[in-house]
Amino acid sequence: MTRAFIVLTMSLLLGGAQVLRAQSARELLGQGVRAYQALEYDAAAALLEESLGRDSSGLADSLRARALTYLGATELFRGQRDSAVATFRHLVLLNPRYRPDELIFPPQVTNLFQEVRRATRAIAVAVPPVTELRTRIERFTARVLTSSLADVTVTLAREDGTLMRQLYSGPVADSLLVSWDGLTAAGTAATDGRYLLQVTPRTPTADGPRARQVLLEVKQEPPDTLAWPPEPPFLPERTSSGPAFRSLAAGLVTGAAAVALPSIMAQGKDATGARFAVGAAVGIAGFVGFFAHKPRPLEANVRKNASQRDAWMKKLDGVKTENATRLRTMRLVVRAGPETFAERRSE
Amino acid sequence: MKTIGVIGILASALPAVAGAQGRPTLAFRGDAGFVWVRSDTAAAAAGGAVRLRGPVLGGEGRVVFNGFAVGVGLLSGTLQAADQTVKRDLIEGRLVVAAQPVPWLEMSVGPFVRAYVTDSVTERWVFWQARARVEAPIVTASLTSYVELWRALSSQVNLVAGAGRVQGGEAGVVYRPPQRPFWLRLAYRVDDAAVRVGGSQTLEEISVSVVVGAR
Repeated sequence: MTRAFIVLTMSLLLGGAQVLRAQSARELLGQGVRAYQALEYDAAAALLEESLGRDSSGLADSLRARALTYLGATELFRGQRDSAVATFRHLVLLNPRYRPDELIFPPQVTNLFQEVRRATRAIAVAVPPVTELRTRIERFTARVLTSSLADVTVTLAREDGTLMRQLYSGPVADSLLVSWDGLTAAGTAATDGRYLLQVTPRTPTADGPRARQVLLEVKQEPPDTLAWPPEPPFLPERTSSGPAFRSLAAGLVTGAAAVALPSIMAQGKDATGARFAVGAAVGIAGFVGFFAHKPRPLEANVRKNASQRDAWMKKLDGVKTENATRLRTMRLVVRAGPETFAERRSE
Repeated sequence: MKTIGVIGILASALPAVAGAQGRPTLAFRGDAGFVWVRSDTAAAAAGGAVRLRGPVLGGEGRVVFNGFAVGVGLLSGTLQAADQTVKRDLIEGRLVVAAQPVPWLEMSVGPFVRAYVTDSVTERWVFWQARARVEAPIVTASLTSYVELWRALSSQVNLVAGAGRVQGGEAGVVYRPPQRPFWLRLAYRVDDAAVRVGGSQTLEEISVSVVVGAR
Protein backbone atom coordinates (compact mmCIF):
# COMPACT_ATOMS: atom_id res chain seq x y z
CA MET A 1 0.00 0.00 0.00
CA THR A 2 2.77 2.39 1.00
CA ARG A 3 4.87 1.39 -2.01
CA ALA A 4 1.96 1.97 -4.32
CA PHE A 5 1.40 5.43 -2.84
CA ILE A 6 5.05 6.32 -3.35
CA VAL A 7 5.01 5.14 -6.97
CA LEU A 8 1.85 7.13 -7.66
CA THR A 9 3.24 10.27 -6.05
CA MET A 10 6.52 10.00 -7.99
CA SER A 11 4.64 9.49 -11.25
CA LEU A 12 2.50 12.57 -10.64
CA LEU A 13 5.53 14.67 -9.72
CA LEU A 14 7.51 13.60 -12.79
CA GLY A 15 4.55 14.04 -15.13
CA GLY A 16 3.74 17.41 -13.63
CA ALA A 17 7.33 18.54 -13.96
CA GLN A 18 7.39 17.65 -17.64
CA VAL A 19 4.18 19.60 -18.24
CA LEU A 20 5.57 22.59 -16.35
CA ARG A 21 8.80 22.40 -18.33
CA ALA A 22 6.93 22.26 -21.63
CA GLN A 23 4.74 25.15 -20.62
CA SER A 24 7.76 27.06 -19.46
CA ALA A 25 9.63 26.55 -22.74
CA ARG A 26 6.56 27.55 -24.68
CA GLU A 27 6.03 30.60 -22.49
CA LEU A 28 9.65 31.58 -22.90
CA LEU A 29 9.24 31.23 -26.67
CA GLY A 30 6.15 33.43 -26.53
CA GLN A 31 7.93 36.01 -24.42
CA GLY A 32 10.93 35.92 -26.74
CA VAL A 33 8.72 36.47 -29.78
CA ARG A 34 7.00 39.40 -28.08
CA ALA A 35 10.40 40.88 -27.13
CA TYR A 36 11.54 40.48 -30.78
CA GLN A 37 8.42 42.24 -31.98
CA ALA A 38 9.09 45.01 -29.44
CA LEU A 39 12.62 45.32 -30.94
CA GLU A 40 14.11 44.31 -27.58
CA TYR A 41 16.60 42.03 -29.27
CA ASP A 42 18.86 41.34 -26.29
CA ALA A 43 15.95 40.27 -24.15
CA ALA A 44 14.50 38.31 -27.06
CA ALA A 45 17.81 36.50 -27.63
CA ALA A 46 18.07 35.61 -23.97
CA LEU A 47 14.51 34.33 -23.76
CA LEU A 48 14.70 32.37 -27.02
CA GLU A 49 18.04 30.79 -26.11
CA GLU A 50 16.60 29.85 -22.76
CA SER A 51 13.54 28.30 -24.37
CA LEU A 52 15.77 26.28 -26.68
CA GLY A 53 18.19 25.49 -23.91
CA ARG A 54 15.58 23.71 -21.92
CA ASP A 55 15.24 20.01 -22.25
CA SER A 56 14.88 19.19 -25.93
CA SER A 57 11.64 17.36 -25.17
CA GLY A 58 10.18 20.67 -23.96
CA LEU A 59 9.43 21.95 -27.46
CA ALA A 60 8.03 20.18 -30.43
CA ASP A 61 10.03 20.28 -33.68
CA SER A 62 7.70 22.86 -35.19
CA LEU A 63 8.13 25.15 -32.15
CA ARG A 64 11.88 24.59 -32.11
CA ALA A 65 11.96 25.61 -35.77
CA ARG A 66 9.95 28.73 -34.88
CA ALA A 67 12.25 29.55 -31.94
CA LEU A 68 15.35 29.06 -34.10
CA THR A 69 13.93 31.30 -36.82
CA TYR A 70 13.20 34.11 -34.36
CA LEU A 71 16.57 33.61 -32.69
CA GLY A 72 18.39 33.78 -36.07
CA ALA A 73 16.51 36.94 -36.99
CA THR A 74 17.22 38.43 -33.54
CA GLU A 75 20.93 37.66 -33.83
CA LEU A 76 20.99 39.24 -37.29
CA PHE A 77 19.41 42.43 -36.01
CA ARG A 78 21.74 42.43 -33.03
CA GLY A 79 24.61 42.47 -35.52
CA GLN A 80 25.66 38.95 -34.63
CA ARG A 81 25.67 37.63 -38.18
CA ASP A 82 27.80 34.57 -37.42
CA SER A 83 25.45 33.58 -34.65
CA ALA A 84 22.53 34.08 -37.01
CA VAL A 85 24.20 31.86 -39.62
CA ALA A 86 24.88 29.17 -37.03
CA THR A 87 21.29 29.31 -35.82
CA PHE A 88 19.89 29.06 -39.35
CA ARG A 89 22.30 26.21 -40.08
CA HIS A 90 20.94 24.41 -37.07
CA LEU A 91 17.43 25.08 -38.37
CA VAL A 92 18.24 23.65 -41.80
CA LEU A 93 19.69 20.54 -40.28
CA LEU A 94 16.56 20.18 -38.19
CA ASN A 95 14.29 20.40 -41.19
CA PRO A 96 15.80 20.81 -44.66
CA ARG A 97 12.45 21.87 -46.11
CA TYR A 98 11.73 24.61 -43.58
CA ARG A 99 11.26 28.16 -44.93
CA PRO A 100 10.75 31.32 -42.79
CA ASP A 101 7.44 33.04 -43.41
CA GLU A 102 8.16 35.96 -45.77
CA LEU A 103 5.15 37.87 -44.41
CA ILE A 104 6.60 37.87 -40.91
CA PHE A 105 10.31 38.19 -41.53
CA PRO A 106 11.94 40.92 -43.61
CA PRO A 107 13.99 40.10 -46.73
CA GLN A 108 17.34 40.43 -45.01
CA VAL A 109 16.32 37.56 -42.73
CA THR A 110 14.88 35.31 -45.45
CA ASN A 111 17.78 36.08 -47.79
CA LEU A 112 20.30 35.13 -45.13
CA PHE A 113 18.35 31.94 -44.42
CA GLN A 114 18.32 31.02 -48.14
CA GLU A 115 22.06 31.69 -48.27
CA VAL A 116 22.65 29.43 -45.30
CA ARG A 117 20.28 26.81 -46.69
CA ARG A 118 22.16 26.67 -49.97
CA ALA A 119 25.45 26.40 -48.14
CA THR A 120 24.22 23.80 -45.66
CA ARG A 121 23.79 20.36 -47.12
CA ALA A 122 21.27 18.44 -45.06
CA ILE A 123 19.28 15.31 -45.60
CA ALA A 124 16.09 14.17 -43.93
CA VAL A 125 13.77 11.26 -44.44
CA ALA A 126 10.06 11.13 -43.61
CA VAL A 127 8.06 7.91 -43.38
CA PRO A 128 4.52 7.16 -42.28
CA PRO A 129 4.40 5.69 -38.77
CA VAL A 130 2.57 2.51 -39.86
CA THR A 131 2.22 1.08 -43.35
CA GLU A 132 0.41 -2.09 -44.33
CA LEU A 133 1.19 -3.44 -47.75
CA ARG A 134 0.87 -6.53 -49.90
CA THR A 135 4.21 -7.45 -51.38
CA ARG A 136 4.63 -6.84 -55.13
CA ILE A 137 1.27 -5.11 -55.33
CA GLU A 138 1.47 -2.28 -52.83
CA ARG A 139 4.39 -0.16 -51.71
CA PHE A 140 5.90 1.37 -48.66
CA THR A 141 6.91 4.99 -49.38
CA ALA A 142 9.50 7.28 -47.83
CA ARG A 143 10.15 10.90 -48.71
CA VAL A 144 13.80 11.94 -48.88
CA LEU A 145 14.32 15.66 -48.29
CA THR A 146 17.45 17.64 -49.04
CA SER A 147 18.26 21.27 -48.39
CA SER A 148 20.11 21.50 -51.69
CA LEU A 149 21.00 19.27 -54.58
CA ALA A 150 22.58 16.12 -53.20
CA ASP A 151 23.61 12.72 -54.52
CA VAL A 152 22.23 10.12 -52.18
CA THR A 153 21.79 6.39 -51.88
CA VAL A 154 18.68 5.02 -50.23
CA THR A 155 19.08 1.51 -48.89
CA LEU A 156 17.31 -0.98 -46.72
CA ALA A 157 19.61 -2.87 -44.41
CA ARG A 158 19.15 -5.34 -41.68
CA GLU A 159 19.61 -4.13 -38.14
CA ASP A 160 23.17 -5.47 -38.13
CA GLY A 161 23.95 -3.29 -41.15
CA THR A 162 23.83 -6.03 -43.80
CA LEU A 163 22.52 -4.52 -47.01
CA MET A 164 19.20 -6.02 -48.04
CA ARG A 165 18.12 -3.86 -50.93
CA GLN A 166 19.11 -0.61 -52.59
CA LEU A 167 16.05 1.49 -53.29
CA TYR A 168 17.55 4.53 -55.00
CA SER A 169 20.86 6.01 -55.97
CA GLY A 170 21.09 9.42 -57.58
CA PRO A 171 20.51 13.13 -57.18
CA VAL A 172 17.79 14.68 -55.08
CA ALA A 173 17.12 18.36 -55.75
CA ASP A 174 14.49 19.03 -53.13
CA SER A 175 12.57 15.93 -52.28
CA LEU A 176 12.15 12.44 -53.66
CA LEU A 177 9.57 9.76 -53.08
CA VAL A 178 11.21 6.36 -52.65
CA SER A 179 9.09 3.24 -52.59
CA TRP A 180 9.65 -0.38 -51.54
CA ASP A 181 7.55 -3.35 -52.65
CA GLY A 182 8.30 -5.41 -49.53
CA LEU A 183 10.76 -7.74 -51.27
CA THR A 184 14.39 -8.51 -50.67
CA ALA A 185 16.97 -8.33 -53.44
CA ALA A 186 16.32 -12.05 -54.01
CA GLY A 187 12.65 -11.35 -54.74
CA THR A 188 11.27 -12.90 -51.58
CA ALA A 189 9.12 -11.16 -49.01
CA ALA A 190 11.04 -9.52 -46.19
CA THR A 191 10.99 -11.67 -43.10
CA ASP A 192 9.96 -10.49 -39.66
CA GLY A 193 12.56 -8.28 -38.06
CA ARG A 194 14.07 -4.84 -37.76
CA TYR A 195 15.47 -3.02 -40.76
CA LEU A 196 17.15 0.31 -41.31
CA LEU A 197 16.04 2.66 -44.04
CA GLN A 198 19.20 4.67 -44.62
CA VAL A 199 19.74 7.78 -46.74
CA THR A 200 23.43 8.26 -47.26
CA PRO A 201 25.39 10.79 -49.35
CA ARG A 202 27.05 9.00 -52.25
CA THR A 203 30.31 10.84 -51.62
CA PRO A 204 30.56 11.52 -47.93
CA THR A 205 32.63 14.52 -46.96
CA ALA A 206 33.43 16.11 -43.64
CA ASP A 207 31.28 19.13 -44.36
CA GLY A 208 28.65 17.19 -46.30
CA PRO A 209 25.25 16.18 -45.05
CA ARG A 210 25.09 13.47 -42.47
CA ALA A 211 23.39 10.22 -43.30
CA ARG A 212 19.95 9.72 -41.81
CA GLN A 213 18.12 6.55 -40.99
CA VAL A 214 14.79 5.29 -39.78
CA LEU A 215 14.33 2.03 -37.93
CA LEU A 216 11.61 -0.07 -39.55
CA GLU A 217 10.02 -2.97 -37.77
CA VAL A 218 8.60 -5.40 -40.31
CA LYS A 219 6.10 -8.08 -39.47
CA GLN A 220 4.65 -10.63 -41.87
CA GLU A 221 0.97 -11.41 -41.70
CA PRO A 222 -0.10 -14.58 -43.52
CA PRO A 223 -2.62 -13.87 -46.27
CA ASP A 224 -6.20 -15.08 -46.10
CA THR A 225 -6.79 -17.85 -48.61
CA LEU A 226 -10.13 -18.86 -50.09
CA ALA A 227 -11.77 -22.13 -49.11
CA TRP A 228 -12.06 -24.72 -51.87
CA PRO A 229 -15.52 -24.89 -53.38
CA PRO A 230 -17.48 -27.89 -52.06
CA GLU A 231 -17.74 -30.88 -54.36
CA PRO A 232 -21.20 -30.99 -55.92
CA PRO A 233 -23.34 -34.08 -55.26
CA PHE A 234 -22.53 -36.23 -58.28
CA LEU A 235 -25.02 -38.78 -59.52
CA PRO A 236 -23.93 -42.43 -59.68
CA GLU A 237 -22.33 -43.10 -63.04
CA ARG A 238 -22.71 -46.90 -62.98
CA THR A 239 -25.37 -49.18 -61.68
CA SER A 240 -24.50 -50.90 -58.44
CA SER A 241 -22.87 -54.32 -58.56
CA GLY A 242 -24.88 -55.42 -55.52
CA PRO A 243 -27.97 -56.71 -57.40
CA ALA A 244 -25.76 -58.72 -59.78
CA PHE A 245 -24.05 -60.55 -56.97
CA ARG A 246 -27.31 -60.99 -55.07
CA SER A 247 -28.84 -62.62 -58.17
CA LEU A 248 -25.87 -64.90 -58.63
CA ALA A 249 -25.92 -65.82 -54.95
CA ALA A 250 -29.66 -66.54 -55.05
CA GLY A 251 -29.27 -68.82 -58.09
CA LEU A 252 -26.23 -70.66 -56.79
CA VAL A 253 -27.57 -71.13 -53.28
CA THR A 254 -30.93 -72.39 -54.52
CA GLY A 255 -29.24 -74.68 -57.05
CA ALA A 256 -26.99 -76.02 -54.34
CA ALA A 257 -30.02 -76.51 -52.08
CA ALA A 258 -31.77 -78.52 -54.80
CA VAL A 259 -28.73 -80.75 -55.15
CA ALA A 260 -28.29 -81.09 -51.40
CA LEU A 261 -31.95 -81.63 -50.48
CA PRO A 262 -31.82 -85.47 -50.48
CA SER A 263 -28.72 -85.41 -48.32
CA ILE A 264 -30.46 -83.15 -45.83
CA MET A 265 -33.98 -84.51 -45.86
CA ALA A 266 -33.43 -88.15 -46.77
CA GLN A 267 -30.04 -89.08 -45.48
CA GLY A 268 -28.56 -92.34 -46.63
CA LYS A 269 -30.97 -92.77 -49.52
CA ASP A 270 -30.01 -93.08 -53.14
CA ALA A 271 -31.35 -90.02 -54.92
CA THR A 272 -31.94 -89.76 -58.63
CA GLY A 273 -30.17 -87.35 -60.92
CA ALA A 274 -33.30 -85.23 -61.26
CA ARG A 275 -32.02 -82.83 -58.63
CA PHE A 276 -29.00 -82.03 -60.75
CA ALA A 277 -31.19 -80.92 -63.63
CA VAL A 278 -33.12 -78.51 -61.43
CA GLY A 279 -29.96 -77.42 -59.57
CA ALA A 280 -28.22 -76.67 -62.85
CA ALA A 281 -31.25 -74.80 -64.20
CA VAL A 282 -31.47 -72.61 -61.10
CA GLY A 283 -27.70 -72.05 -61.13
CA ILE A 284 -27.84 -70.97 -64.76
CA ALA A 285 -30.72 -68.67 -63.89
CA GLY A 286 -28.41 -67.15 -61.27
CA PHE A 287 -25.79 -66.45 -63.91
CA VAL A 288 -28.45 -64.96 -66.17
CA GLY A 289 -29.47 -62.69 -63.31
CA PHE A 290 -25.83 -61.77 -62.70
CA PHE A 291 -25.29 -60.67 -66.29
CA ALA A 292 -28.67 -58.95 -66.42
CA HIS A 293 -27.69 -56.87 -63.40
CA LYS A 294 -24.08 -56.42 -64.39
CA PRO A 295 -22.98 -52.84 -63.60
CA ARG A 296 -23.31 -50.62 -66.65
CA PRO A 297 -22.72 -46.95 -67.21
CA LEU A 298 -25.61 -44.55 -66.73
CA GLU A 299 -25.06 -42.27 -69.71
CA ALA A 300 -27.49 -39.56 -68.64
CA ASN A 301 -25.83 -39.33 -65.23
CA VAL A 302 -22.37 -39.37 -66.81
CA ARG A 303 -23.33 -36.43 -69.06
CA LYS A 304 -24.91 -34.49 -66.21
CA ASN A 305 -21.93 -35.14 -63.94
CA ALA A 306 -19.50 -34.08 -66.67
CA SER A 307 -21.02 -30.62 -66.94
CA GLN A 308 -21.18 -30.31 -63.15
CA ARG A 309 -17.62 -31.54 -62.82
CA ASP A 310 -16.36 -29.08 -65.43
CA ALA A 311 -18.02 -26.16 -63.67
CA TRP A 312 -16.65 -27.31 -60.33
CA MET A 313 -13.14 -27.81 -61.71
CA LYS A 314 -13.22 -24.30 -63.18
CA LYS A 315 -14.19 -22.89 -59.81
CA LEU A 316 -11.50 -24.99 -58.13
CA ASP A 317 -8.84 -23.81 -60.59
CA GLY A 318 -9.91 -20.23 -60.02
CA VAL A 319 -9.59 -20.61 -56.26
CA LYS A 320 -6.23 -22.35 -56.61
CA THR A 321 -4.91 -19.56 -58.82
CA GLU A 322 -6.23 -16.90 -56.46
CA ASN A 323 -4.72 -18.65 -53.46
CA ALA A 324 -1.38 -19.04 -55.21
CA THR A 325 -1.43 -15.31 -55.97
CA ARG A 326 -2.34 -14.48 -52.41
CA LEU A 327 0.39 -16.73 -51.05
CA ARG A 328 2.90 -15.05 -53.33
CA THR A 329 1.88 -11.63 -52.05
CA MET A 330 2.63 -11.70 -48.36
CA ARG A 331 1.08 -8.95 -46.26
CA LEU A 332 3.58 -6.84 -44.35
CA VAL A 333 3.08 -4.38 -41.53
CA VAL A 334 5.88 -1.80 -41.37
CA ARG A 335 6.17 0.33 -38.24
CA ALA A 336 8.60 3.22 -38.41
CA GLY A 337 10.69 4.46 -35.51
CA PRO A 338 12.10 7.96 -35.12
CA GLU A 339 14.49 9.43 -37.66
CA THR A 340 18.07 9.49 -36.40
CA PHE A 341 21.54 10.25 -37.70
CA ALA A 342 23.21 7.21 -39.09
CA GLU A 343 26.62 6.32 -37.81
CA ARG A 344 29.26 7.23 -40.32
CA ARG A 345 30.61 4.05 -41.77
CA SER A 346 34.35 3.68 -41.89
CA GLU A 347 35.59 4.03 -45.44
CA MET B 1 -45.70 -80.09 -28.79
CA LYS B 2 -47.17 -80.48 -32.24
CA THR B 3 -50.21 -78.46 -31.23
CA ILE B 4 -47.95 -75.69 -29.99
CA GLY B 5 -46.19 -75.71 -33.36
CA VAL B 6 -49.46 -75.36 -35.23
CA ILE B 7 -50.57 -72.55 -32.94
CA GLY B 8 -47.25 -70.80 -33.48
CA ILE B 9 -47.56 -70.93 -37.23
CA LEU B 10 -51.14 -69.71 -37.14
CA ALA B 11 -50.17 -66.93 -34.77
CA SER B 12 -47.52 -65.77 -37.19
CA ALA B 13 -50.16 -65.65 -39.89
CA LEU B 14 -52.57 -63.59 -37.81
CA PRO B 15 -51.05 -60.16 -38.50
CA ALA B 16 -51.23 -60.80 -42.21
CA VAL B 17 -54.82 -61.97 -41.92
CA ALA B 18 -55.74 -59.00 -39.79
CA GLY B 19 -54.16 -56.60 -42.25
CA ALA B 20 -55.81 -58.20 -45.25
CA GLN B 21 -58.11 -55.61 -46.71
CA GLY B 22 -57.77 -56.25 -50.42
CA ARG B 23 -60.21 -58.32 -52.42
CA PRO B 24 -59.32 -62.00 -52.60
CA THR B 25 -57.84 -63.25 -55.84
CA LEU B 26 -57.64 -66.72 -57.27
CA ALA B 27 -54.64 -68.62 -58.50
CA PHE B 28 -54.38 -71.97 -60.21
CA ARG B 29 -51.38 -74.09 -60.81
CA GLY B 30 -51.10 -77.04 -63.12
CA ASP B 31 -48.22 -79.49 -62.66
CA ALA B 32 -46.72 -82.09 -64.91
CA GLY B 33 -44.01 -84.12 -63.34
CA PHE B 34 -42.16 -87.36 -62.96
CA VAL B 35 -41.95 -89.22 -59.67
CA TRP B 36 -39.47 -91.71 -58.27
CA VAL B 37 -40.39 -93.68 -55.15
CA ARG B 38 -38.03 -95.92 -53.23
CA SER B 39 -39.69 -97.92 -50.47
CA ASP B 40 -38.02 -100.24 -47.99
CA THR B 41 -40.74 -100.21 -45.37
CA ALA B 42 -41.27 -103.45 -43.47
CA ALA B 43 -44.18 -104.44 -45.66
CA ALA B 44 -42.20 -104.02 -48.77
CA ALA B 45 -38.97 -105.30 -47.35
CA ALA B 46 -40.10 -108.86 -47.64
CA GLY B 47 -39.31 -108.64 -51.28
CA GLY B 48 -36.54 -106.09 -50.88
CA ALA B 49 -36.67 -102.38 -51.62
CA VAL B 50 -39.29 -101.39 -54.12
CA ARG B 51 -38.43 -98.79 -56.73
CA LEU B 52 -41.25 -97.22 -58.64
CA ARG B 53 -41.49 -94.36 -61.06
CA GLY B 54 -43.93 -92.73 -63.33
CA PRO B 55 -45.43 -89.53 -64.62
CA VAL B 56 -47.87 -87.55 -62.54
CA LEU B 57 -50.25 -84.66 -63.11
CA GLY B 58 -51.42 -82.32 -60.48
CA GLY B 59 -52.81 -78.95 -59.65
CA GLU B 60 -53.54 -76.52 -56.90
CA GLY B 61 -56.08 -73.79 -56.45
CA ARG B 62 -55.62 -70.92 -54.03
CA VAL B 63 -57.61 -68.04 -52.70
CA VAL B 64 -55.17 -65.28 -51.95
CA PHE B 65 -55.80 -62.45 -49.56
CA ASN B 66 -53.39 -59.73 -48.79
CA GLY B 67 -50.51 -61.94 -47.67
CA PHE B 68 -52.79 -64.77 -46.71
CA ALA B 69 -53.90 -67.80 -48.74
CA VAL B 70 -55.96 -70.95 -48.50
CA GLY B 71 -55.33 -73.68 -51.05
CA VAL B 72 -56.27 -77.16 -52.09
CA GLY B 73 -53.94 -79.36 -54.12
CA LEU B 74 -54.18 -82.74 -55.81
CA LEU B 75 -51.64 -84.91 -57.60
CA SER B 76 -52.15 -88.26 -59.26
CA GLY B 77 -50.25 -90.71 -61.39
CA THR B 78 -49.40 -94.32 -61.96
CA LEU B 79 -46.05 -95.65 -60.84
CA GLN B 80 -44.51 -98.89 -61.80
CA ALA B 81 -41.27 -100.74 -61.38
CA ALA B 82 -38.71 -100.77 -64.11
CA ASP B 83 -39.58 -104.37 -64.95
CA GLN B 84 -43.29 -103.50 -64.79
CA THR B 85 -43.95 -106.25 -62.24
CA VAL B 86 -45.19 -103.85 -59.60
CA LYS B 87 -47.69 -101.13 -60.30
CA ARG B 88 -49.30 -98.64 -57.95
CA ASP B 89 -51.38 -95.50 -58.29
CA LEU B 90 -50.10 -92.48 -56.40
CA ILE B 91 -52.60 -89.96 -55.11
CA GLU B 92 -51.73 -86.94 -53.02
CA GLY B 93 -54.04 -84.33 -51.62
CA ARG B 94 -53.37 -81.36 -49.42
CA LEU B 95 -55.07 -78.46 -47.80
CA VAL B 96 -52.94 -75.50 -46.95
CA VAL B 97 -53.33 -72.28 -45.01
CA ALA B 98 -50.48 -69.91 -45.75
CA ALA B 99 -49.33 -66.56 -44.57
CA GLN B 100 -46.64 -64.24 -45.90
CA PRO B 101 -45.41 -62.07 -43.02
CA VAL B 102 -42.62 -60.64 -45.15
CA PRO B 103 -42.38 -60.65 -48.95
CA TRP B 104 -39.58 -63.21 -49.06
CA LEU B 105 -41.07 -65.70 -46.58
CA GLU B 106 -44.20 -67.81 -46.69
CA MET B 107 -45.24 -70.07 -43.81
CA SER B 108 -48.01 -72.59 -44.17
CA VAL B 109 -49.67 -75.42 -42.37
CA GLY B 110 -52.21 -78.03 -43.32
CA PRO B 111 -53.08 -81.69 -43.64
CA PHE B 112 -51.50 -83.82 -46.32
CA VAL B 113 -52.68 -87.20 -47.54
CA ARG B 114 -50.70 -89.62 -49.72
CA ALA B 115 -51.98 -92.94 -50.88
CA TYR B 116 -50.38 -95.80 -52.79
CA VAL B 117 -53.21 -97.79 -54.26
CA THR B 118 -53.06 -101.30 -55.65
CA ASP B 119 -55.94 -103.56 -56.62
CA SER B 120 -55.90 -105.13 -53.14
CA VAL B 121 -54.26 -102.69 -50.71
CA THR B 122 -54.13 -98.99 -50.15
CA GLU B 123 -51.22 -97.64 -48.16
CA ARG B 124 -52.33 -94.30 -46.76
CA TRP B 125 -50.20 -91.69 -45.11
CA VAL B 126 -51.81 -88.73 -43.33
CA PHE B 127 -49.83 -86.01 -41.71
CA TRP B 128 -49.96 -82.37 -40.72
CA GLN B 129 -47.29 -80.37 -42.38
CA ALA B 130 -45.65 -77.16 -41.31
CA ARG B 131 -43.86 -75.55 -44.21
CA ALA B 132 -41.51 -72.58 -44.61
CA ARG B 133 -40.68 -71.16 -47.99
CA VAL B 134 -37.98 -68.59 -48.71
CA GLU B 135 -37.85 -66.71 -52.00
CA ALA B 136 -34.96 -64.82 -53.52
CA PRO B 137 -35.30 -62.79 -56.70
CA ILE B 138 -32.76 -63.48 -59.40
CA VAL B 139 -34.01 -61.00 -61.95
CA THR B 140 -36.39 -58.62 -60.26
CA ALA B 141 -40.05 -59.56 -60.74
CA SER B 142 -39.39 -61.98 -63.57
CA LEU B 143 -37.09 -64.71 -62.29
CA THR B 144 -37.26 -65.95 -58.73
CA SER B 145 -35.72 -68.88 -56.95
CA TYR B 146 -37.15 -70.52 -53.87
CA VAL B 147 -36.43 -73.18 -51.30
CA GLU B 148 -39.18 -74.76 -49.22
CA LEU B 149 -38.71 -77.10 -46.29
CA TRP B 150 -41.38 -78.91 -44.37
CA ARG B 151 -41.81 -81.30 -41.56
CA ALA B 152 -44.75 -83.30 -40.30
CA LEU B 153 -46.15 -82.15 -36.98
CA SER B 154 -48.08 -85.42 -36.70
CA SER B 155 -48.24 -88.45 -38.98
CA GLN B 156 -50.22 -91.59 -39.39
CA VAL B 157 -49.91 -94.55 -41.73
CA ASN B 158 -52.00 -97.64 -42.07
CA LEU B 159 -48.98 -99.90 -41.81
CA VAL B 160 -48.34 -102.12 -38.83
CA ALA B 161 -45.00 -100.50 -38.24
CA GLY B 162 -46.50 -97.08 -37.73
CA ALA B 163 -45.29 -93.69 -38.98
CA GLY B 164 -42.14 -92.06 -37.81
CA ARG B 165 -40.43 -88.83 -38.84
CA VAL B 166 -41.74 -87.35 -42.05
CA GLN B 167 -40.02 -84.39 -43.71
CA GLY B 168 -39.10 -83.01 -47.05
CA GLY B 169 -38.07 -80.06 -49.13
CA GLU B 170 -38.42 -78.43 -52.48
CA ALA B 171 -36.24 -76.08 -54.53
CA GLY B 172 -36.99 -74.44 -57.81
CA VAL B 173 -37.14 -71.42 -60.00
CA VAL B 174 -40.15 -69.40 -61.14
CA TYR B 175 -40.16 -67.47 -64.39
CA ARG B 176 -42.76 -64.83 -65.06
CA PRO B 177 -42.65 -63.74 -68.70
CA PRO B 178 -43.18 -60.04 -69.14
CA GLN B 179 -46.67 -59.00 -70.26
CA ARG B 180 -48.01 -62.55 -69.80
CA PRO B 181 -50.75 -63.64 -67.38
CA PHE B 182 -49.01 -66.87 -66.38
CA TRP B 183 -45.90 -68.06 -64.61
CA LEU B 184 -43.70 -71.05 -65.28
CA ARG B 185 -42.10 -73.07 -62.55
CA LEU B 186 -39.44 -75.76 -62.49
CA ALA B 187 -39.11 -77.61 -59.20
CA TYR B 188 -37.48 -80.57 -57.55
CA ARG B 189 -38.86 -82.03 -54.34
CA VAL B 190 -37.96 -84.84 -52.05
CA ASP B 191 -40.09 -86.32 -49.25
CA ASP B 192 -38.84 -88.89 -46.81
CA ALA B 193 -41.27 -90.79 -44.59
CA ALA B 194 -39.82 -93.15 -42.04
CA VAL B 195 -41.60 -95.95 -40.22
CA ARG B 196 -40.93 -96.70 -36.58
CA VAL B 197 -39.37 -100.12 -36.94
CA GLY B 198 -36.97 -99.11 -39.63
CA GLY B 199 -37.24 -98.41 -43.26
CA SER B 200 -38.69 -95.50 -45.13
CA GLN B 201 -40.27 -94.27 -48.27
CA THR B 202 -38.46 -91.63 -50.29
CA LEU B 203 -40.31 -89.77 -52.99
CA GLU B 204 -38.60 -87.52 -55.49
CA GLU B 205 -40.36 -85.43 -58.05
CA ILE B 206 -39.31 -83.12 -60.82
CA SER B 207 -42.08 -80.98 -62.15
CA VAL B 208 -42.90 -78.21 -64.53
CA SER B 209 -45.83 -76.01 -63.60
CA VAL B 210 -47.90 -73.26 -65.08
CA VAL B 211 -49.39 -70.75 -62.66
CA VAL B 212 -52.26 -68.49 -63.61
CA GLY B 213 -53.36 -65.61 -61.41
CA ALA B 214 -51.78 -64.67 -58.13
CA ARG B 215 -49.30 -67.08 -56.73
